Amino acid sequence: MAILKNRHDEIEKLCAKYPSRRSALLPVLWMVQEQEGWVSQDAMKEVAEIIGCTAAEVYEVVSFYTMYNQKPVGRHHIQFCHTLACAICGSHEAVGHIREKYGFDEGASISRDGKFSLVEVECIGACTEAPAMLVGETLYGNLTPERLDEVLNARN
Amino acid sequence: MPAAAYEKVLLPNIEKNETEWLSAYQKGGGYTALRTALGMTPEAITNLVKDAGLRGRGGAGFPTGLKWSFLPKGVGPRYLAINADESEPGTCKDRPLMEQRPHSMIEGIIITCLAIESQQAFVYIRGEYYNSAKVVQKAVDECYAAGILGNNVLGSGKRVDLVVHRGAGAYICGEETALLTSLEGYRGYPKLKPPFPAISGLYGKPTIINNVETVTNVPYILNKGVDWFKSFVHEKSTGLRLLCVSGHVKKPGVYEVPMTYTLREIIYDICGGIRNDHDLKFIIPGGSSVPWLLPDKLDAVCSMEGLQAAGSFLGSAGMMVMDHTVCPVWALTNLSAFYRHESCGQCTPCREGSAWLHKILLRIETGHGQEGDLQMLRSIAGTGPGTGMICGRSICALGDAAAWPVSSALNLYWNEFEEHVKNKGCGYKNKRFWMNKAGNFVNDAFAHKPTWGHAAH
Ligand SMILES: Cc1cc2nc3c(=O)[nH]c(=O)nc-3n(C[C@H](O)[C@H](O)[C@H](O)COP(=O)(O)O)c2cc1C
Ligand code: SF4
Ligand code: FES
Repeated sequence: MAILKNRHDEIEKLCAKYPSRRSALLPVLWMVQEQEGWVSQDAMKEVAEIIGCTAAEVYEVVSFYTMYNQKPVGRHHIQFCHTLACAICGSHEAVGHIREKYGFDEGASISRDGKFSLVEVECIGACTEAPAMLVGETLYGNLTPERLDEVLNARN
Repeated sequence: MPAAAYEKVLLPNIEKNETEWLSAYQKGGGYTALRTALGMTPEAITNLVKDAGLRGRGGAGFPTGLKWSFLPKGVGPRYLAINADESEPGTCKDRPLMEQRPHSMIEGIIITCLAIESQQAFVYIRGEYYNSAKVVQKAVDECYAAGILGNNVLGSGKRVDLVVHRGAGAYICGEETALLTSLEGYRGYPKLKPPFPAISGLYGKPTIINNVETVTNVPYILNKGVDWFKSFVHEKSTGLRLLCVSGHVKKPGVYEVPMTYTLREIIYDICGGIRNDHDLKFIIPGGSSVPWLLPDKLDAVCSMEGLQAAGSFLGSAGMMVMDHTVCPVWALTNLSAFYRHESCGQCTPCREGSAWLHKILLRIETGHGQEGDLQMLRSIAGTGPGTGMICGRSICALGDAAAWPVSSALNLYWNEFEEHVKNKGCGYKNKRFWMNKAGNFVNDAFAHKPTWGHAAH
């Protein structure tokens, strides 16, 4: 194991929690992503060995779940909700604001300086605090232009 | 009818947004219901929950005690899977429940395990809820250290283990059979029922799936009694309910209420009315899948029966409120994009149907509607539940969920849809899609000045 080296005990403990080793597939993929920021093909091969399935089976899972990044992301990964409750509270304008102000080329998902990446996602369960986004693992709601800039400027 | 003063139990201090850890929870009487339950038979616990009339809070409102009693006698091991996938747009109550009162949920889980004679429970938390998973894991660790979980629950000799499992971004994993396949480590594909999970669920074993809020009610039923729970009642809707009100109300939020208020009381009294004193346009009362309601239904009681009588459902109690600036065609296009994206793709009516609904709506919304488009939408989505090309023809209810809003919006706003087709586009100012020279639909977010942020308080 090259990517998850030194994490053998942690992985075995995780697998032991489930009646079937295969159940640890999603959690192990999370371990990879938390460490690397994304899940590469090499990582998928390694995870396949750990779980005892084929790399194709791992890919089948990775490609189903939208939160596993199949490409590297920016230092700060923004997931902005664009579903109805947020959309009627300005999420499209907010996304436009981010793209314009933080240096995203048209159609690009990573800012020119690599600091931010941005994806529009479906409802993130913060509808009463619309518009809402996740930056990394942290949820921010009730976003105004000022608050959004405050949150993003505080990151480097 | 407005309720008399009542004590909130599920989220009494929601504004504070603090986590109640083990010592504080126990000081307030936490885990006494578990002690009571340890002295009861599984049947006695199940009967109590049946008598209280507790119904599932995840969406379908199935009677909880009855579900538990479907487990085949003498077959094991049995599993309990807690549905914390909360992905139905408009719904955001399980997150504060887990983050503020994790022990209240865990106590409910252990008692449920005793009732269904299970020794192993899983909490399946949607991937986006990083913090909920951390908080619940820490609370679980506290329980193991205190002997509340593990081989000898509070010295009773009974075993209950609890595993926190994270999803990774797929609405469909909230559907119970998809949740189980995901928990087994596969793509979250729903399965045909029967067999129901109570007979053949996780790893092929008898399994009960309950929503977070459902099991969190259980300790309070034991502590405060069936009569207390039934003192909040409208027809067959008993107990308190976490109602999530979002959109154009002055005070959006999660409110713990008896199911006795009318929509008018909720929107105008509890939530302070519509922002900027605009007019109310329509209400999506129970999560994005349910039929829409017009202001003429404001006197409907917000209970499972009350909203059904009004032509919709209480569902997951995620209520989205739209003011008169919202274009129904645009709103429906937004929702149909959601279902198209979240369809797991396993069965044709849902995969193709949800995609076609979205494609047609998008072209109508952007001014490229064609003659016959509305009829085509109708023929795909039907005129109501159970009709059309998707409803009742797919493996799981996501197909129905994609069709219902379309048939309902067409029923309510046929004229506005027709005008969109005739006038080649939207008369509303908030148009947000256009077609570029290459013929692709793009979002016109760039064209908008950031005048947003009005929902903040
Ligand atoms: C497409 C789809 C998505 C669902 N999403 C959720 C969800 O996010 N959370 C939930 O508790 N139930 C959800 N449900 C309902 C579950 O299938 C199941 O009925 C529920 O978790 C049972 O728990 P309860 O009886 O305690 O409500 C969904 C159902 C469907 C068809
Ligand atoms: S109805 Fe849709 S979500 Fe459900 S199994 Fe079929 S394709 Fe998948
Ligand atoms: S619609 Fe944006 S968080 Fe739910």
